[in-house]
Amino acid sequence: MDDRKAAILGEIPRLRRYARALSRDRDSADDLVQDCLERALAKLDNWQTGESPRKWLFTIMHHLFIDQMRKVSRRGEMAMLPLDGDEALTVPSIQVENIASREILDALQAIAPERRAAIVTVAIEGFSYAEAANILGIPAGTLMSRISRGREDLRALLDDRARRRSLKVVEK
Amino acid sequence: MTARDFTERDIHLALDGELPDEERAAFDMWLEANPEMKARSNRFSADREALRFAMAGILDEPVPARFTTLVAGDGRPRLPQRSRWWQAAAAAVLLAIGGTGGYVAGTRGIGVEDVSADRFAEEAVAAYVVYAAEKRHAVEVPASDEEHMRNWLSARIGLRLVTPDLTADGFQLIGGRLLPAGTGKAAMLLYEDAEGNRISLFVTSESGSYAKGTYTEKNGPTAVYWLDKGYGCAVVGALPQERLAVVARNAYRQLIEGAESKV
Repeated sequence: MDDRKAAILGEIPRLRRYARALSRDRDSADDLVQDCLERALAKLDNWQTGESPRKWLFTIMHHLFIDQMRKVSRRGEMAMLPLDGDEALTVPSIQVENIASREILDALQAIAPERRAAIVTVAIEGFSYAEAANILGIPAGTLMSRISRGREDLRALLDDRARRRSLKVVEK
Repeated sequence: MTARDFTERDIHLALDGELPDEERAAFDMWLEANPEMKARSNRFSADREALRFAMAGILDEPVPARFTTLVAGDGRPRLPQRSRWWQAAAAAVLLAIGGTGGYVAGTRGIGVEDVSADRFAEEAVAAYVVYAAEKRHAVEVPASDEEHMRNWLSARIGLRLVTPDLTADGFQLIGGRLLPAGTGKAAMLLYEDAEGNRISLFVTSESGSYAKGTYTEKNGPTAVYWLDKGYGCAVVGALPQERLAVVARNAYRQLIEGAESKV
């Protein structure tokens, strides 16, 4: 197997994680990974040697995600509509998640997808602002405002959740 | 020390390692002097840790074989024209209007059959997870209306569906429902035993590959499935493997006999 393919193989776990952040449903996340790998293999020559395979693959995946979002919203589904914390679809989770983890993952899914992508590329995947802006195809200033707004959204959802929980306790 | 005023924006810069080193000390002093900002910074930082923790486990999950096969396989990658459910419809149309042999050959390629078998099993498992958990709304048509259900589902999925008698294995029919599967439809029959264990039979005529196997998701139910051209059947349940295998074989034999028998 050539080195480039080996390098791509090594990135699969991270691609899956990013895909799962974009779409929590495991199947559609893995579909996104599969599309990304197919695209990458078909365009192997576009990958400039010396460039990080991670950045290249993330860029491909992000484009696919954007395309998919466009298609979905054209079909009239409300994928772009942020859900309220309690209404967010709780996918029967296969892996064991503690409550705090589940809450933050639910909240992450509930914020706008472009803010979600900005937070995850920087805070989870560890890309610099410059790299993340490049991957997402946006100016650095836009990236920054998406990150700060996304963090505010996330916090607001979690505060809201905590408040409601304490209300329930009081009602009992 | 820098003279500039810090703002909330700098909290994010600092958190993401984008604050210039020489401004760090002044920023920390600013935080100390602004308890409200410091509290904000701490909350964002804690949220980030929680997110990292929540997502760390994904890196340790085993990579599905279909991905490694896809990347490591030496065949030329197909163009993004996968037999995924919303693309397969388009592909089928292309084939019908004189699609090239290339695509047909492509679907016989390495790993592709595993993908469609996986997908079929995943659909069967997903249907089970959703509906077997429902106490009152598990089925659309109850077993009391069995004959009507059989006729209706047979007409919808396009093959003669029988409701296997699984009483020898301790299972009674609860009823059935119609579901989407791949590009078409599937019938799901639900059974229950005296202890309340449920199994489902997931049957479709939409299958182009030949495969059989079992499929389990971590901590999830198991699907035992058979795929043949024009016929797919999965038996799903959270039973011990040996018991599920016995029930599944029994159900499959009856389904096949039923499908092949003349009306």
